[in-house]
Amino acid sequence: MPPNLPRVSASVVIRKSSLQPVFDNLKAAGFTLVGPTVREGAIVLDEISRLEDLPLGWTDEQQPGRYRLKQTNEPYFFGFTVGPHSWKQYLHPARLPLFAARKENGNWAFLPPQTPPPHYAFVGVRACDLAAISILDRVLLGGEFRDPHYARRREQVFVLAVNCGHANPTCFCSSMNTGPRVTEGFDLALTELPEAFLVEVGSEAGSEMMKDSAWEPATAFELRQAAGVFQQAEREIVRDLKTDDLPQLVYDNLEHAHWDEVAARCLSCGNCTLVCPTCFCTTVEDTSNLRGTMAERTRLADSCFNRDFSYVFGGNIRPNIRSRYRQWLSHKLASWIDQFGTSGCVGCGRCIAWCPVGIEITEEVNALRAKAAQ
Amino acid sequence: MSVAFPAIEVRSPVDPMLPRPAVIQGVRPEAAGVFTFSMAFANPADRAAYQFQAGQFNMLYLPGFGEVAISLSSDPGETQLLGHTIRVAGNVTRALSRLKVGDVVGIRGPFGSHWPLEKAAGRNLIIVAGGIGLAPLRPVILSVLTHRDAFGRVLLLYGARTPGDLLYTREFGRWREAGLEVNVTVDVGDENWKGKVGVVPQLFYFVRMEHKNTLVLTCGPEIMMRFVIYEALARRIPKDAIYLSMERNMKCAVGFCGHCQYGPNFICKQGPVFNFAAIEPFFGKEDF
Amino acid sequence: MAEQTHWLGAFLAHLSPRVQEKLLALGETFHYPAGQSIFHEGDPSLYLYIVKSGQVAIEVHIPSKGRRTIMTAGPGDLFSWSALVEPRLETASARAVDETEALGIKGGGLMDLCREDPALGFEVYHELAEVISARLIATRLQLLDILAA
Repeated sequence: MPPNLPRVSASVVIRKSSLQPVFDNLKAAGFTLVGPTVREGAIVLDEISRLEDLPLGWTDEQQPGRYRLKQTNEPYFFGFTVGPHSWKQYLHPARLPLFAARKENGNWAFLPPQTPPPHYAFVGVRACDLAAISILDRVLLGGEFRDPHYARRREQVFVLAVNCGHANPTCFCSSMNTGPRVTEGFDLALTELPEAFLVEVGSEAGSEMMKDSAWEPATAFELRQAAGVFQQAEREIVRDLKTDDLPQLVYDNLEHAHWDEVAARCLSCGNCTLVCPTCFCTTVEDTSNLRGTMAERTRLADSCFNRDFSYVFGGNIRPNIRSRYRQWLSHKLASWIDQFGTSGCVGCGRCIAWCPVGIEITEEVNALRAKAAQ
Repeated sequence: MSVAFPAIEVRSPVDPMLPRPAVIQGVRPEAAGVFTFSMAFANPADRAAYQFQAGQFNMLYLPGFGEVAISLSSDPGETQLLGHTIRVAGNVTRALSRLKVGDVVGIRGPFGSHWPLEKAAGRNLIIVAGGIGLAPLRPVILSVLTHRDAFGRVLLLYGARTPGDLLYTREFGRWREAGLEVNVTVDVGDENWKGKVGVVPQLFYFVRMEHKNTLVLTCGPEIMMRFVIYEALARRIPKDAIYLSMERNMKCAVGFCGHCQYGPNFICKQGPVFNFAAIEPFFGKEDF
Repeated sequence: MAEQTHWLGAFLAHLSPRVQEKLLALGETFHYPAGQSIFHEGDPSLYLYIVKSGQVAIEVHIPSKGRRTIMTAGPGDLFSWSALVEPRLETASARAVDETEALGIKGGGLMDLCREDPALGFEVYHELAEVISARLIATRLQLLDILAA
């Protein structure tokens, strides 16, 4: 690397204001920056360009069925965990044109979409979300077929990750081995210290974006401060999910009476699938012009909680909430393991916070385990 | 840039969601609400490249209407013309039923697992079908009769609701001559029906069979398959010698949309043809 | 035996006292709260059940159509004779509609008893044939009813 750029796997330090030159370098390289910002009482993901767009001083308080923001006096840009949005909205968009069909001389031609997607730079990716992206990679790129739309978006993504310094009662990344510390898969990873950012350089692209950021090698003191940040986050994790008996625990109890109990509370609203960073189900929509000479096929996000999700001629295979909740949980924590080699859950806790009735996926598994043992 | 993803050999064309145009060459009514299309890809290169195995399916696309998963019902040895027997069940199939020779549809495929003919060499085959379930098994029958000496006894146990719902009856004579034992029943007979009346699983009571060295291949309504399996197990056919074809809602056929999941299996990838022993923990579970 | 006589339904009542006694000795009493599932279709069929009190619904589930009760068993009625017939798998599901007490007779044990004591075996299978025949006629009527609709 040229002397004014840090080498890959180095840990360096920059003043907080020097994050702006990093943003500027990304923009100059053609990236569209997306990152956390405050909107309508939540920290959501949106296009950003300046440091001021970040939620400086904000933190989040999450409980089952509850999400609130709180202003603090502390000068932290990333003092929160995760909001309702996840990076799948950019990699696996909820609305995607698949192809257009045009009738010419009685023959149909099928035309793929022409507009290339933006090059995204993801700013502020938490460890759990990074693991979620890696899980989606396996689902959409790791099998016999590859999703070319996901591939095109994913290949160009720049990942600027952030280590968590605090955890919410909804978080359980440590149980799922996905956090709280970012370990791989990033171009740059930040740990926010009181007066500076510690930056781990994960790739050459990451190194290049550090141009003009007045970076300096991290001192032993700063490295110790950063270690303190990781430990603080770990200490604050109070939620736990035992996973060593999965998937078998779920497979052995598909008809357990406990599913009736959670079904009595679940509204089948699908919030959990909207906020879950790994839920990937989609459906298709077909439209045409009035003369039937042009048609379009669009892919839309879908949820297994939708009543007609399992429709076959004659009715829905999963006609009640009990069977749909069972499908979601058994897929996320059990059959996903057989399908893709890892759990589908990263422990981000979003489904717990955003469930209107506060159903906790961890407690449902604990209840099933306790009752099955009887 | 960041994470490297594994390089995987891709079997399908670049975009597995993009259909290829095919022209309808023939339309034949089979029963009330059931018809068979034969079609050929518009592009000669597509025609030459397409291969399928018995049990696999295509996604047939009618622009502006949608797509349906339909099993191939023609001979896998003759791929210039592809046959699909379709029952009218919704908007897309109803629109398909109005198409004529020369009309164009989109095809994606073939997808899914196949009937295990490679495991059947030298063995007896019991093919058990209900209603439209005979369509995905017809390619097995045609393949077997082309290589009849490679198999032991081959039996067809077939039934439909009424005599008018029976498919491919014109071919039964030819099949019998080629060495297939054909046993037919209907749930409800009429004045002209001289054959057996009773549900398909009852046909097990009318045929001799060995439990050793025999495979059972079955396709039909799920309830029928539950009882077919019950009868097969009662006759000591091993669980792993029974194969069935399952159906679930399907949107993409390539394992991405999530709709066709059946426990850990995707009907479009590990299915539609399953070995019973592999899905036994989930089979017949309520609302699963 | 006085406490049991009031629920001796068609099956047990037609057996000779000697055979009745042997069957009751072989049985275990099971209690089910209202709504509890007794067994699911496809489960190994271990017990022949006779309802002592309460009511049991015999159900099948039809994919995308839901559960249908095809028969009910009340005091004295017999269900799950699959325990005596290969492949000894339940062909339907059973659920207690009301709070139910049922006598369960192990299928394997009963078959052994029938083999050792052919006279007992004849009585048991004769009565079983009567019960199953009555069921079959009832099922035909159900079928005709549905077909005629």
